[in-house]
Amino acid sequence: MSLNQTLNNPARHPATWPRTLTKNMKSFTNQTRQLSQLSATLLLLAISAFCLPAAAQAGDPAAGKAKAFACTGCHGLGGTKVAYPDVYKVPKLGGQHAAYIVAALKSYKAGERFNETMKAQATLLSEKDMADIAAYYAADKK
Amino acid sequence: MMRTILLTALLASFACGANATAMPKGDPVKGKADSTTCAACHGEDGNSKSAEFPRLAGQHADYLYNALSQYKSKQRKNAIMGGFAATLSRQQMADLAAFYASQKGLDHKY
Repeated sequence: MSLNQTLNNPARHPATWPRTLTKNMKSFTNQTRQLSQLSATLLLLAISAFCLPAAAQAGDPAAGKAKAFACTGCHGLGGTKVAYPDVYKVPKLGGQHAAYIVAALKSYKAGERFNETMKAQATLLSEKDMADIAAYYAADKK
Repeated sequence: MMRTILLTALLASFACGANATAMPKGDPVKGKADSTTCAACHGEDGNSKSAEFPRLAGQHADYLYNALSQYKSKQRKNAIMGGFAATLSRQQMADLAAFYASQKGLDHKY
Protein backbone atom coordinates (compact mmCIF):
# COMPACT_ATOMS: atom_id res chain seq x y z
CA MET A 1 0.00 0.00 0.00
CA SER A 2 1.48 3.33 -1.08
CA LEU A 3 1.55 6.42 1.13
CA ASN A 4 -1.11 8.05 -1.05
CA GLN A 5 -3.44 5.11 -0.68
CA THR A 6 -2.86 5.14 3.07
CA LEU A 7 -3.69 8.81 3.34
CA ASN A 8 -6.81 8.41 1.18
CA ASN A 9 -8.08 5.44 3.16
CA PRO A 10 -10.38 6.80 5.91
CA ALA A 11 -9.60 3.86 8.17
CA ARG A 12 -5.91 4.60 7.99
CA HIS A 13 -6.11 8.42 8.01
CA PRO A 14 -3.33 10.02 10.09
CA ALA A 15 -6.02 11.30 12.45
CA THR A 16 -6.72 7.72 13.49
CA TRP A 17 -3.03 6.89 14.10
CA PRO A 18 -2.95 7.63 17.84
CA ARG A 19 -5.86 5.22 18.35
CA THR A 20 -4.22 2.51 16.26
CA LEU A 21 -0.99 3.07 18.13
CA THR A 22 -2.73 2.64 21.52
CA LYS A 23 -4.39 -0.55 20.27
CA ASN A 24 -1.06 -1.92 19.05
CA MET A 25 0.64 -0.99 22.30
CA LYS A 26 -2.08 -2.82 24.28
CA SER A 27 -1.66 -5.88 22.11
CA PHE A 28 2.10 -5.64 22.52
CA THR A 29 1.77 -5.45 26.32
CA ASN A 30 -0.56 -8.48 26.31
CA GLN A 31 1.87 -10.45 24.19
CA THR A 32 4.74 -9.55 26.49
CA ARG A 33 2.72 -10.68 29.51
CA GLN A 34 1.84 -13.98 27.85
CA LEU A 35 5.46 -14.48 26.86
CA SER A 36 6.70 -13.92 30.41
CA GLN A 37 4.08 -16.35 31.73
CA LEU A 38 5.20 -18.91 29.16
CA SER A 39 8.85 -18.52 30.04
CA ALA A 40 8.06 -18.86 33.75
CA THR A 41 6.27 -22.15 33.00
CA LEU A 42 9.18 -23.35 30.87
CA LEU A 43 11.63 -22.45 33.63
CA LEU A 44 9.57 -24.41 36.17
CA LEU A 45 9.46 -27.40 33.80
CA ALA A 46 13.22 -27.22 33.29
CA ILE A 47 13.82 -27.09 37.04
CA SER A 48 11.51 -30.05 37.74
CA ALA A 49 13.14 -32.05 34.94
CA PHE A 50 16.53 -31.31 36.49
CA CYS A 51 15.35 -32.36 39.95
CA LEU A 52 13.85 -35.66 38.77
CA PRO A 53 16.52 -37.36 36.67
CA ALA A 54 15.11 -40.83 37.41
CA ALA A 55 11.87 -40.00 35.61
CA ALA A 56 13.74 -38.69 32.56
CA GLN A 57 12.77 -41.31 29.97
CA ALA A 58 9.89 -43.75 29.94
CA GLY A 59 10.98 -46.99 28.29
CA ASP A 60 8.92 -48.98 25.81
CA PRO A 61 9.41 -52.74 26.42
CA ALA A 62 8.23 -53.69 22.93
CA ALA A 63 10.72 -51.34 21.25
CA GLY A 64 13.31 -52.54 23.76
CA LYS A 65 12.90 -56.16 22.71
CA ALA A 66 13.93 -55.31 19.15
CA LYS A 67 16.82 -53.14 20.36
CA ALA A 68 18.03 -55.84 22.76
CA PHE A 69 18.93 -58.13 19.85
CA ALA A 70 22.65 -57.50 20.32
CA CYS A 71 22.37 -58.10 24.08
CA THR A 72 20.92 -61.59 23.73
CA GLY A 73 24.20 -62.94 22.34
CA CYS A 74 25.62 -62.83 25.88
CA HIS A 75 22.73 -62.06 28.24
CA GLY A 76 20.22 -64.40 26.67
CA LEU A 77 22.10 -67.65 27.13
CA GLY A 78 22.44 -69.01 30.63
CA GLY A 79 26.04 -69.25 31.79
CA THR A 80 27.81 -67.24 29.07
CA LYS A 81 31.11 -66.04 30.49
CA VAL A 82 33.21 -62.93 30.19
CA ALA A 83 36.76 -64.08 29.44
CA TYR A 84 38.72 -60.87 29.90
CA PRO A 85 40.10 -59.43 32.17
CA ASP A 86 38.50 -61.83 34.66
CA VAL A 87 36.42 -64.89 33.97
CA TYR A 88 32.88 -64.73 35.31
CA LYS A 89 29.35 -65.25 34.04
CA VAL A 90 27.57 -62.28 32.48
CA PRO A 91 24.84 -60.99 34.82
CA LYS A 92 21.24 -62.09 34.59
CA LEU A 93 19.06 -59.15 33.59
CA GLY A 94 15.55 -60.65 33.61
CA GLY A 95 13.58 -58.91 36.37
CA GLN A 96 16.29 -56.35 37.15
CA HIS A 97 15.11 -52.79 37.95
CA ALA A 98 14.92 -50.63 34.80
CA ALA A 99 16.43 -47.58 36.53
CA TYR A 100 19.45 -49.65 37.58
CA ILE A 101 19.99 -51.03 34.04
CA VAL A 102 19.92 -47.48 32.62
CA ALA A 103 22.36 -46.34 35.32
CA ALA A 104 24.67 -49.28 34.52
CA LEU A 105 24.65 -48.53 30.77
CA LYS A 106 25.37 -44.86 31.45
CA SER A 107 28.31 -45.67 33.70
CA TYR A 108 29.78 -48.03 31.07
CA LYS A 109 29.42 -45.22 28.51
CA ALA A 110 31.03 -42.73 30.91
CA GLY A 111 33.88 -45.13 31.74
CA GLU A 112 32.90 -45.48 35.42
CA ARG A 113 32.46 -49.22 34.91
CA PHE A 114 35.07 -51.15 33.04
CA ASN A 115 34.15 -53.70 30.40
CA GLU A 116 35.22 -53.18 26.81
CA THR A 117 32.25 -55.01 25.30
CA MET A 118 29.71 -53.16 27.40
CA LYS A 119 31.42 -49.84 26.78
CA ALA A 120 31.28 -50.41 23.03
CA GLN A 121 27.62 -51.42 23.19
CA ALA A 122 26.56 -48.59 25.52
CA THR A 123 28.32 -46.00 23.35
CA LEU A 124 26.02 -46.96 20.47
CA LEU A 125 22.86 -46.38 22.51
CA SER A 126 20.84 -43.19 22.92
CA GLU A 127 19.10 -42.44 26.23
CA LYS A 128 15.83 -43.58 24.66
CA ASP A 129 17.42 -46.87 23.52
CA MET A 130 18.72 -47.45 27.05
CA ALA A 131 15.29 -46.77 28.57
CA ASP A 132 13.59 -49.13 26.08
CA ILE A 133 16.08 -51.97 26.61
CA ALA A 134 15.87 -51.52 30.40
CA ALA A 135 12.05 -51.62 30.26
CA TYR A 136 12.22 -54.85 28.25
CA TYR A 137 14.51 -56.62 30.73
CA ALA A 138 12.66 -55.23 33.77
CA ALA A 139 9.27 -56.48 32.52
CA ASP A 140 8.02 -60.02 33.16
CA LYS A 141 10.81 -62.51 33.38
CA LYS A 142 10.30 -64.64 30.27
CA MET B 1 64.99 -75.02 24.42
CA MET B 2 64.50 -71.24 24.52
CA ARG B 3 61.01 -71.76 23.15
CA THR B 4 60.13 -74.24 25.88
CA ILE B 5 61.33 -71.84 28.59
CA LEU B 6 59.32 -68.98 27.11
CA LEU B 7 56.24 -71.13 26.80
CA THR B 8 56.55 -72.34 30.38
CA ALA B 9 56.97 -68.76 31.60
CA LEU B 10 53.92 -67.70 29.62
CA LEU B 11 51.81 -70.54 31.03
CA ALA B 12 53.03 -69.80 34.55
CA SER B 13 52.08 -66.14 34.21
CA PHE B 14 48.59 -67.14 33.08
CA ALA B 15 48.28 -69.52 36.02
CA CYS B 16 49.39 -66.79 38.47
CA GLY B 17 46.95 -64.32 36.93
CA ALA B 18 44.12 -66.78 37.38
CA ASN B 19 45.11 -67.53 40.96
CA ALA B 20 45.22 -63.86 41.89
CA THR B 21 41.54 -63.41 41.08
CA ALA B 22 40.27 -66.93 41.79
CA MET B 23 37.14 -66.90 43.87
CA PRO B 24 37.23 -68.71 47.21
CA LYS B 25 34.42 -71.20 47.85
CA GLY B 26 31.51 -69.22 49.29
CA ASP B 27 29.35 -70.27 52.24
CA PRO B 28 25.75 -68.99 51.84
CA VAL B 29 25.02 -69.35 55.58
CA LYS B 30 27.96 -67.14 56.54
CA GLY B 31 27.00 -64.82 53.69
CA LYS B 32 23.50 -64.38 55.09
CA ALA B 33 24.97 -63.51 58.50
CA ASP B 34 27.15 -60.85 56.86
CA SER B 35 24.34 -59.44 54.72
CA THR B 36 22.54 -57.29 57.33
CA THR B 37 24.26 -54.09 56.11
CA CYS B 38 23.46 -54.92 52.48
CA ALA B 39 19.79 -55.61 53.31
CA ALA B 40 19.09 -51.92 54.00
CA CYS B 41 19.33 -51.14 50.28
CA HIS B 42 19.27 -54.52 48.48
CA GLY B 43 16.44 -56.11 50.52
CA GLU B 44 16.66 -59.00 52.96
CA ASP B 45 16.88 -61.67 50.25
CA GLY B 46 18.43 -59.44 47.59
CA ASN B 47 15.15 -58.40 46.00
CA SER B 48 15.54 -54.65 46.50
CA LYS B 49 12.43 -52.50 46.80
CA SER B 50 14.05 -49.37 45.36
CA ALA B 51 14.76 -49.29 41.61
CA GLU B 52 17.94 -47.35 42.29
CA PHE B 53 19.57 -50.43 43.88
CA PRO B 54 20.03 -53.60 41.83
CA ARG B 55 18.33 -56.88 42.58
CA LEU B 56 20.95 -59.42 43.66
CA ALA B 57 18.70 -62.40 44.33
CA GLY B 58 19.44 -65.20 41.87
CA GLN B 59 22.40 -63.39 40.30
CA HIS B 60 25.45 -65.48 39.35
CA ALA B 61 27.80 -65.79 42.33
CA ASP B 62 30.94 -65.20 40.25
CA TYR B 63 29.48 -62.00 38.79
CA LEU B 64 28.63 -60.69 42.28
CA TYR B 65 32.09 -61.62 43.56
CA ASN B 66 33.68 -59.84 40.61
CA ALA B 67 31.51 -56.73 41.15
CA LEU B 68 32.55 -56.54 44.83
CA SER B 69 36.22 -57.04 43.89
CA GLN B 70 35.99 -54.22 41.35
CA TYR B 71 34.38 -51.92 43.92
CA LYS B 72 37.15 -52.75 46.35
CA SER B 73 39.90 -52.08 43.79
CA LYS B 74 38.09 -48.83 42.78
CA GLN B 75 37.98 -50.09 39.19
CA ARG B 76 34.22 -49.75 39.44
CA LYS B 77 33.40 -46.37 40.90
CA ASN B 78 30.52 -45.96 43.32
CA ALA B 79 30.61 -43.87 46.49
CA ILE B 80 28.34 -46.20 48.51
CA MET B 81 29.62 -49.59 47.34
CA GLY B 82 33.26 -48.53 47.31
CA GLY B 83 33.04 -47.85 51.05
CA PHE B 84 31.36 -51.16 51.92
CA ALA B 85 33.52 -53.34 49.68
CA ALA B 86 36.67 -51.86 51.22
CA THR B 87 35.75 -53.47 54.55
CA LEU B 88 35.19 -56.98 53.10
CA SER B 89 37.71 -59.82 52.84
CA ARG B 90 37.80 -62.02 49.71
CA GLN B 91 36.19 -64.84 51.70
CA GLN B 92 33.36 -62.56 52.90
CA MET B 93 32.73 -61.42 49.32
CA ALA B 94 32.50 -65.05 48.18
CA ASP B 95 30.12 -65.86 51.08
CA LEU B 96 27.84 -62.91 50.26
CA ALA B 97 27.89 -63.84 46.57
CA ALA B 98 26.94 -67.43 47.40
CA PHE B 99 24.09 -66.27 49.64
CA TYR B 100 22.50 -63.92 47.06
CA ALA B 101 22.99 -66.41 44.22
CA SER B 102 21.00 -68.98 46.23
CA GLN B 103 17.97 -66.68 46.58
CA LYS B 104 15.04 -66.57 44.15
CA GLY B 105 14.79 -63.47 41.97
CA LEU B 106 16.58 -62.64 38.73
CA ASP B 107 16.32 -64.81 35.67
CA HIS B 108 17.56 -65.12 32.12
CA LYS B 109 15.40 -63.65 29.43
CA TYR B 110 15.25 -64.75 25.83
